Amino acid sequence: MHVLWIDGVEPGEAIRLSGSKMGRLAELATTGTKVPLAFAVTVEAFNEHFQSTGLDDAIEFELRGIDLTDHVGLEVVADRIRGRIVSTQMSQELADQIVDAYEELCDKASDLNIPTAVRSSATGEDGSDSSFAGIFDTFLGVSGSPRVLEAVRACWASLFSPRAIAYRARHGISHHQMPMAVGVVELVHARASGVAFSIHPVSGKRDRVVIESSWGWGEAVVQGLVTPDHFEVGKADRRILKRNINDKKVVSAFDFSAGHVTETNMPERLRLRSSLDDEQIAAITHAVLAIEDHYGYPVDIEWVLDRHRREGEPIAIVQTRPVTVVEDVAPVAYDPMALANKFIFSKGR
Amino acid sequence: MTTVIPLDEYISEEWYPGFTPAFDHAPFYVEPFQTFTKEDEKRFWFLDFHWPRGLTPLALIWNEDGYAWGTQSAAENLPLPPGRGLSVRIAGVHTYASPIDIESGFEIGERAGRMGPYLGNFIANFDEIWADRRDEVERSWQHLLSMDPSSMSLPELSAMLKEARVFHKRAFEIHFEVMYPLLVNYLGFFGWCAEAGIDTSQIGKFLQGYDTKIMETDRELWNLTRAAKADGLANLFAKTRAEELNAALSADPAAASFVQKFKDFLKVYGYRTEGACDVALPSWIEDPTPALGMIKSFLEKDEEHDFEAARAAAIAEREEAIAAARAGLSAEEQVAFDAGVASCQSANFPWWQDDHNYYIDLRVSLPLRWAAMAIAERVGADNPEDGIYLFWPEIIAVADGEKSYEEFRDLVAQRRVYFNESRAMRSKMPKVLGTIPEAVADPVLIEIFGLNEHFLNAIKAAGSDSDVRTLTGLPASKGKARGIARVFNDADELHRLTPGDILVCESTSPNWTPAFAKIAACVCDGGGMLSHAAIVGREYGVPTVTAVGLATVVISDGDEIEVDGDTGTVTVYKRANAEA
Repeated sequence: MHVLWIDGVEPGEAIRLSGSKMGRLAELATTGTKVPLAFAVTVEAFNEHFQSTGLDDAIEFELRGIDLTDHVGLEVVADRIRGRIVSTQMSQELADQIVDAYEELCDKASDLNIPTAVRSSATGEDGSDSSFAGIFDTFLGVSGSPRVLEAVRACWASLFSPRAIAYRARHGISHHQMPMAVGVVELVHARASGVAFSIHPVSGKRDRVVIESSWGWGEAVVQGLVTPDHFEVGKADRRILKRNINDKKVVSAFDFSAGHVTETNMPERLRLRSSLDDEQIAAITHAVLAIEDHYGYPVDIEWVLDRHRREGEPIAIVQTRPVTVVEDVAPVAYDPMALANKFIFSKGR
Repeated sequence: MTTVIPLDEYISEEWYPGFTPAFDHAPFYVEPFQTFTKEDEKRFWFLDFHWPRGLTPLALIWNEDGYAWGTQSAAENLPLPPGRGLSVRIAGVHTYASPIDIESGFEIGERAGRMGPYLGNFIANFDEIWADRRDEVERSWQHLLSMDPSSMSLPELSAMLKEARVFHKRAFEIHFEVMYPLLVNYLGFFGWCAEAGIDTSQIGKFLQGYDTKIMETDRELWNLTRAAKADGLANLFAKTRAEELNAALSADPAAASFVQKFKDFLKVYGYRTEGACDVALPSWIEDPTPALGMIKSFLEKDEEHDFEAARAAAIAEREEAIAAARAGLSAEEQVAFDAGVASCQSANFPWWQDDHNYYIDLRVSLPLRWAAMAIAERVGADNPEDGIYLFWPEIIAVADGEKSYEEFRDLVAQRRVYFNESRAMRSKMPKVLGTIPEAVADPVLIEIFGLNEHFLNAIKAAGSDSDVRTLTGLPASKGKARGIARVFNDADELHRLTPGDILVCESTSPNWTPAFAKIAACVCDGGGMLSHAAIVGREYGVPTVTAVGLATVVISDGDEIEVDGDTGTVTVYKRANAEA
């Protein structure tokens, strides 16, 4: 099976077949969370394509005896591998299947040539996304069959960035052990987007939800190109605890002439305006807590506020991951001596 | 690079002309009070702002029994985990202190383990504990007050002097026994707030608006001001110098009613000196000039200071600040925050910092002073105050008839000269001596003395720019004001402040409080968020910037300056003696 609709797969199977990113989205879809229409170009498709076209052998050859300390050499090899992946045509059968699925996606969305997000969805041990966070490419606003095919190949190629190659070599992992599926996801028309955490990602406080948000698509937020608005919401009473409206100078917007999402200057009137209202904050909080509840551990999510969304409707979730980086901190009762020990008597030690 | 400020010129075994103490001069707790040795250069010493005049021989009992013994005994008995109190030295007549840090993490942990149960109990029962200690101080005070030195024999005066010293010492054991745990609780809460993301400049507000004995005194001064105005004495006050007011009022039949009211006032509030812990300072009972001077300058103000309104505003600001901080906390955090606020409000450090001065700092030196002066008078000294130019063993020997006062008559004259010369050097005394650390860890030094990083840097950078126009410090009380700078080295001339002036000083003490009802702003060399100026500045709504470092050096009397209590900046606009 080369193409898999995420609403048509057993959650148990989803990650194995479509990588962790798409697998988790498939699992989310079964919990009643609103996720965009999406299909995955499967791990199987990747494996077959790389074998049948001779890409595997070529890559094997390129990586033989690679010197990780030679950064320039590594760069050159990575470029060569990626160039080869990008220029290697798919079999007609695979290409047809992807194009058919894309057209079906357009039909389901009742439009022609709908823009999509084409996302890398690597496999490997669970949580492999976290080690490779942000390293694999996502292409936003890809529209029309030829561009979708191109983006799928580009996602595959991102498995061979110098950083990914070096990481695998250092950990003795072959790229065969982490084949890459690719998700083709309906691009939600974003009024605002961002991330949300069901635990404070820095302090580890688990009594709150943290939301970061900016106008437009989420790339600028995820890549750290913009200082997003920052909200904190108490879990117990869903009260907004913090509301930092920042100067958002850059926006990820859809460039119709180029056919993709790109970064541009934020219009003056939006820079200092809050990108979310209280109802929207509540909806995001509701979504991230439902997901945390489903998994039973703290999660982060990428969310998109559809410009057609009406009050009371759910927020679209495009990605979720476990939060692994922090030690969670439960609030404790006021204890003067414990506080004195912590803040006064341990200074300089 | 380590900055070391040499202290060679202050190394001496002699404390004052004609006095080098014997080894067993006085008992000590951890480290004795003494003069500087070369070895001291390795430690960090700061000039204490409490005694801008310097201390006379008998006043050095404070350094022994109060400053050194009081801090050290409290720190050892609680025990205070990170240190053993403060070590004390003199350079000339000026007092320097240094924290006695504990290096061993294990020992700190053990001490913390011992302090834990004590602290919990102390906070829970603070009202009772402080009432008990106040009662104890009051009992001894009343006992000593009931004595009439003018009718006592020399042996009786000797006995009184000894009792007065015991009282004084005990009062400061209590002072630090209460101060340390209050401070620890406050700073723990401060740390909690900082970690919870609360703007720490707001924390002082959570605890403001509680009435103190010192504020009560200020209110009474304003009541007297009103009485003076009602009795048509405004003109008399306006045309008479503060020093001559007492005589002028007594001589004026129209002032009879006011004089009676003023006497009644003094009976309650007059046992108070113009500075903390110094036998050289008379009480208002002995010399009412400061109190009358305050009334005089209050009369010059167009508007009365509305204490009710100021207090209501302070309370409203407190409740607003608490509500604003709470709003940013999760429901779970609010539980801990509420407990912390309640704890710090009931065992309220900033409140106590002002209140205790009435019971301790501003009066407990008086019995020592009175006994010493009576002894001096009895033995034929030229001036009763010559008694405070004798050291303890000397005055006891004189009072007990073991030595003749004649042995000391010339020495006292020499010591007066020595005191005055050294006192005049005050503004040139280094703010710190010895090895300046990158940062100070002791919370007392940071929060009360204002020895924060900024202060230390300002000290290190001193002398590099002679025409500094903008100074920065700790924004201790919000608001902005522009006015004429009045640079004071001590409180002696405080009553000469006119409304709208900006007070510039090393630091303020409780006796400076009434001045806040008329100044437009306040700037201090030292002082942290919990210093007197910071606390009173907030209570009175006076823009205040502390820990500026060298404000009294850079700003000259008469300069036109602007104080921004929100940002902590002080700008000099016009030099009083501009040369170009």
